[in-house]
Formats: sequence, C-alpha cells, structure tokens
Amino acid sequence: MATTLLRKQALSQLSRALGSEQATVELKWMLRSLEQPDRLVADSLSAMVARRVSGEPLQYILGTQPFGPLDLLTRPPVLIPRPETEDWAIRLAEFVKPTMRAPIQLLDLCTGSGCIPLLLCKTWPAGTVRARGIDISAEAIALAKDNAARCGIPSSSSKPTASHELTAAHNTFDALQADIRLPGFLASLKSSGIRPRFDVITSNPPYIPRDQYEQLPTSVKDYEDIRALLGDPDLLPPQGKKSLSDSGRGLTFYHDIAKLVAHEQEGLLTTKGILAVEVGEGQAKDVAAILKTEGGLQYTSIWTDPWNIERVVVASRK
Amino acid sequence: MLRVAFRLHASRLRPLRCFHFSARRFAQPDVLTSLEASPIVQAVSRRMRRRSELQSQLSETLNSPEDKDRMKQISMLEPLRNAWEEWENTRNLLKETTLLLEDPDPSMRSLAGEEYSELVSKLSTMAQEKFPSLLVPPSETSHLSAMIEIKAGVGGSESALFVSDMIRMYTAVAGHMGWKAVVTGKNENENGGMKDAVLEVKGEKAYDTLRWESGVHRVQRVPATETSGRVHTSTVAVLVLPLEEDSGQEVKDDLFTMDQVRIEVMRSRGAGGQHVNKTESAVRLTHIPTGITVSMQDERSQHQNRRKAFQVLRARLMDRKLSQETVDRRDMRRSLVKSADRSEKVRTYNYTQDRVTDHRLGMSIMNIDSVMDGEALQEFLTELGRKHQEELLEDAALS
Repeated sequence: MATTLLRKQALSQLSRALGSEQATVELKWMLRSLEQPDRLVADSLSAMVARRVSGEPLQYILGTQPFGPLDLLTRPPVLIPRPETEDWAIRLAEFVKPTMRAPIQLLDLCTGSGCIPLLLCKTWPAGTVRARGIDISAEAIALAKDNAARCGIPSSSSKPTASHELTAAHNTFDALQADIRLPGFLASLKSSGIRPRFDVITSNPPYIPRDQYEQLPTSVKDYEDIRALLGDPDLLPPQGKKSLSDSGRGLTFYHDIAKLVAHEQEGLLTTKGILAVEVGEGQAKDVAAILKTEGGLQYTSIWTDPWNIERVVVASRK
Repeated sequence: MLRVAFRLHASRLRPLRCFHFSARRFAQPDVLTSLEASPIVQAVSRRMRRRSELQSQLSETLNSPEDKDRMKQISMLEPLRNAWEEWENTRNLLKETTLLLEDPDPSMRSLAGEEYSELVSKLSTMAQEKFPSLLVPPSETSHLSAMIEIKAGVGGSESALFVSDMIRMYTAVAGHMGWKAVVTGKNENENGGMKDAVLEVKGEKAYDTLRWESGVHRVQRVPATETSGRVHTSTVAVLVLPLEEDSGQEVKDDLFTMDQVRIEVMRSRGAGGQHVNKTESAVRLTHIPTGITVSMQDERSQHQNRRKAFQVLRARLMDRKLSQETVDRRDMRRSLVKSADRSEKVRTYNYTQDRVTDHRLGMSIMNIDSVMDGEALQEFLTELGRKHQEELLEDAALS
C-alpha cells in the first residue's frame, strides 16, 4: 500500500506529464492494479510512475486492457486495443447473428492481440463461430493465443476432453502467423488445412499514412509495432516494392484485402459474406471505393465511432 | 370454537334474564366498543365497505375492463376479508358471552368469564397484530440491493476522512447482516480520506434496511491533523439508491427507453484509432425526460463505464420513482419523508462525548465504536425500519 507521501509525489509527477485530470484517473488505476491479489505487474508505484512519465503507454505498464466483456493482456510491441475498435466490435457482434444451426467461419486479418475475434467468440452463443486470426508478427500471434486462453476460448485443434465430446458446442479461435500481402498467402492457408472461405472477415489493418506516422505521440510511435500502424509499408526504406498510385495515404492494406476477396468463387469471402474493416480518419470513402472497384463488394456502409469519426467500412456483394 | 358455539345456543334461551342485568353490564368499561373504535379496526371496516361497493358495481357479465380492475381490487382484499370474518364471528361470540357473565348459575358465570377473557384477548391480538400486518402491504422493494453514495461535505479533509470511516462502518454492518459489500468507486485524496465513494451492498432487504441512511451525517471530533485540540464539526452526505441485480445486459425496463438516453463521450481524441493510445474512457449519459445526467470515468474502458453509468442511471430513476410513490401515498409532514429531502441532518457522531444520536429517532447510543464497527448501527437500522412500518400503518389507518 502506497503511503500518503508516495501518492502525493506520484500525482504531481504524473500531473506534469499528463495534466492533472488524466493523472488523477491513471493514478487511481495504477493503485487499483497494485491492490489486485493476482496482479500481473511486478512494479512498485514509483516504478510505474517513472515508466509512465517517460512516455510508456499505461496499458503496457498495467499489463491489461479491458475490451468489451474481455480483460485482455497487453504486451509490447503488439498494438493496444483501442476504444474505437471496442465500440465497433460490440456493434458487429449485434449486427451479425450466427446460430447453432448456421455457424459461421470468421477470419480476422492483422489480428494483433486478437481483440476483435475474441470479443465475437465471447459474445456470440457457444458453437456458432470458428474464428481464425492472422498476423505477420510472432509477438502478436503469441499474445493472441495467450489472450484466447485467458478468455477461455479453445483452439479448434485442442483435443476435446471426454466431457467436451458430448457438448461439442464451442466457439474456437486459432492464431496463425502469415503475411497476408504475400502472393502465396491463399495457398499457404490451404496448405495449413484451412478451407479459405469465410462468412465474416474483419480487420484493423495498419492505416496511418507515412507523414502522419512521423508526427505520432511517442507513446504510440516508440512503443507500438510499426507493422501494426504504418499503412504505407512499401515506403519503408530497405524494401523497394512497387508502390501504388495512392501510396503515402495509408491505404496499402485495403488494396491487398480487396484483392483477397475479389474472386467470388476462389476468394476468401463467401458469396453472402460480410467484410468489416477499421479505417483512419478521412479514409472511409476511399476505402469503400477500393472495396467496390477492386474487391467487387457492391454494397458498402460506413459506421461512425463514438467520437463522430467515420471508423468502419462494412461491405458485401449483395 | 365448537365449545363456544354450543353455549351460544344455550344463551339464546335466556334473553330476558340478561336484559334484567343489563344496567350492571353497561357500568363496566366496554372493551369491545373501544376495540371497534380503534383506527386500525375502523380502517379494516372501511375497506370491507369498499369491497362490498366494488362487488355491487360488478356487471353481470364480469368482463368489462372496469370489472377486471374491480375483481383485482376485491381479490387483493381477500386476506383482509378472511380476517374480518373471523373478527366478526369472534365479536358476535363475545357479545353473547357478555350476556352470560350475568347468568344466575355460578358455574355458568365462571365458564363465561374464562370464555370472555379468551375472546377479548383474541380480538385485541387481531386488532394489534393481524390487521396491521394485512393493512400494510408487503414491501415491493425487499429484493433490491443498495448503492450507497457517500460524499464529503463541510469540513474539507476531515470530512473526507469520515467518508472512509463510514465506508468501513457500512462494510462492517453488511458483514453482520450477511450481505456482500464492495466499494465500486472511490476518489481518494492525499491524506487517506475519500472525496467520495460508492459502496454496493448486495443482499435480501439491503435497500429496505439501509434506505433511511440517506441524509446528512455530522461528525464532531478533534481531527488527527488539528494541533490545538479544537473540536471540528464536519458533514458527510449519504445517498442510498435502489439497485437491481446486474444481469450484464442493458436490460429494457419501464424506467426508461434507450431513445430517451443520450450517450456522450467526454473528450476529443483527435484522429483517434491507431493514432492515439491514451486511455479516455469517460462517458456521460443524459436521461432527456428528467434531465438526470450520469458521468462515469472510474473504469478503463468505454464499455465498462457505460455499463456502470447505466446502472447508476437506473438506480436514480428507480429512486425517483419510489420517492414519488412515497409522496403520492403519504402525508408530507411525517418525519421520515421529510428526511427524504436528503439535505436534512439525520445523525450526529460526537467523538468527544462518545455518542451517536439519530435525530429522527431522538435516540442516542453511548459507545461510538460499537456503532462504527457496525454492531450498534443495526439498532438504529432496526428502529428506523420499525418507525417506517408504524408510519405506513398510520397511513393505512387514515385511508
């Protein structure tokens, strides 16, 4: 338990870095996580404050972030789940209603912590969804697996115990490391035994344009994986892949995703499937156009986040 | 009962003799008349007249909407009617037994005397216990848990210290009562006190028992920080709200509809999304018809704050509904209702005199620690509950 003096000191240090209002709530959350019997953080209050003042995100210091009904682990450098994503994932969970009689296959591209598919698995009735998460980062795949275990969502390959065999109704989640931008991605899915047809595809791909990336707050830029943030990866210095006409606007991954769903019979999305992608501020209309022209998804709608920014493009063929 | 019925029969054979002794009988204080004149019995009698009226108003077909309403009212009066029939039977027996008290046969007189006192005691038990329990309808809020909001008032950090003391007191009393108490929100200040705190107390009758804690609590003591030894007076405001079990869903109920609630996020996040990882989870709800607003920023996610905010909004609206029902039902002059205005001083904790006084009860307990550790607080809670029951009964007797 922190003494009065320590607290006073912590508050004034945090206030200088964050402003007094934010400092007050963050101190409260730090104290609360220190009070927890099964706490994940080994730090003392003063160590936490020192990390926070140096610019580290609070979520990495505390080791968790609540996300809808879930309490997810957070580990650098994997992208921390954002409240905007929480909002639309909850909305999607209500928008799509899978049933035991019509269970669905779900694919989450650039899954990171696994927040989107895990929230859906947790919210939808048992036995209605089989989810896969793909990410290029080994750290993300490891974290997504740990989060699935933490949320009690089994892998589809986990051996059913005797009691499970009788009640086979589970939602399952599998995390797979792969680069969705490689030409062989579809083939690699097939070779790992996944039937590459999905009823729902979700993604929060990196979407920050190069010039904006340079301006990001240090808590984002210096701590979170550039591979989860930068929407113009081809402009990274060492690689010199061919660049698209709109390169520099953070839209690279949307072109790739559109390509993956474009073919109605061979693509990743079933004929009646739904694609939901998160976008950055000001990108929604461009992304909707890309999905329409390059992905063949004629019907698009745009969801606004609680801060009134166009945040999600939801698209389908029919 | 059977034995009495037989003798009743016998009494009819001797009407004239009884008449003969009537002067002496009237000289005795008439127990029955005073029982019948009691406000409780009068209230029951009025309800029985109302019941007959309702029955006479029923149409032959019994299927109009008014009929339905009347039938419902009639059936609600059924337990009272059963008791009333028993009362009337007993009363008739008593009247006839009274006549036998003057019987020339001494053994008959002595039997009648025994019978008489049995019947009188039965009638008074009915008037004092059975009727009151039937006149006051059972609490409709006994299943509700309580959300206790405690805020520091006059007295700065000393007041904030007393908020912490009160949280401990209510947590302790919850333990004694077999309830589960959890601090669900608190704003601590630097001196170990709390500017405000919210305690959820879950369990049967938690709200019914604790609701009278609402109001201003005054503490008089020498603050730990005071060097001159001067006694300070500080206040703490307590508000006890009714809490429905949280089912985890934003359930629909009759308190509000979702389109009556405006949900706002509190701050701008700039571009938001991947650009920002600062935790800004504050939420504000506004219930448009009443203008009640609830702001919540205790939790680290939007979802959690929203859920908690809805819980508080539901509790506020329920509180409002219950208070309105109370006001509709009863006369404003009564003391507990007056204190429901929540700005009234309800209790004083005087440390120098080692005394806690409840101003509504006019009752003091001379061991402050026994109150603060929850044990003796139960005495206040019991007395306040009793007072409330008495007031409900008074209301019933007047209507």
